[in-house]
Amino acid sequence: MKYLLLYAGDETAAGLAVAGPTAGGQTDDGQTDDRQTDDGLAGDGHAAEECLPWAQEISEGKLTHLAGGRLQPTTTATSVRNADGDILVADGPFAETKEQILGFDVIECGDLAAAIAAASRHPVAQLGGVVEVRPFLGGS
Amino acid sequence: MPWAREMDARGVVLAAGGQLYPAARAVTVRSQADEALATDGPFAETKEQIAGYQIIECADLDTAIYAASRHPVARTDGGSVEVREILAD
Repeated sequence: MKYLLLYAGDETAAGLAVAGPTAGGQTDDGQTDDRQTDDGLAGDGHAAEECLPWAQEISEGKLTHLAGGRLQPTTTATSVRNADGDILVADGPFAETKEQILGFDVIECGDLAAAIAAASRHPVAQLGGVVEVRPFLGGS
Repeated sequence: MPWAREMDARGVVLAAGGQLYPAARAVTVRSQADEALATDGPFAETKEQIAGYQIIECADLDTAIYAASRHPVARTDGGSVEVREILAD
């Protein structure tokens, strides 16, 4: 079965930050961002580097990694929507959420339990973020 | 799919992509006190749900936005496509 692992979390948190001025917990004026300690998401490493052992573990197991990537922050997102037949282009993500989508992986594995096990071992889940697991249509 | 043919003709490369089962089949995994908790449902309750994704490679953001605006989801009333650049690792 094919599953989407959708990573989400506070994109301004140090351990989960993917890019942009907030990476490393610094605000624009150079002051340390207190949020990184207040919300318990602070990590010593960058999420990307912490993913390498996970990827190795996955490749040694019975899971196949098909696609994936880390995304630029939602501040760079553009949403294209259809309203009564008109195409509207607007800055920002399609939905304002407490946790933002940080990236994704597509994996192939035996069943949902294996996909959940992989999700729970991913650094994003370990660093206080969340991983949404979704099966693909026609993924069997 | 006409969209895929149009993108091909415009030099937009379609990489991985797929359609998802409805969000009702989502499972969300969070860690709490060093334990992974799996709960039914998506990570966020939103008015619109994520239905699928498509990775494309193209020259610039404008081309990506154009590709999004031509996609069948964006041609459907109430549908939307979020465009985000993938970080180069």
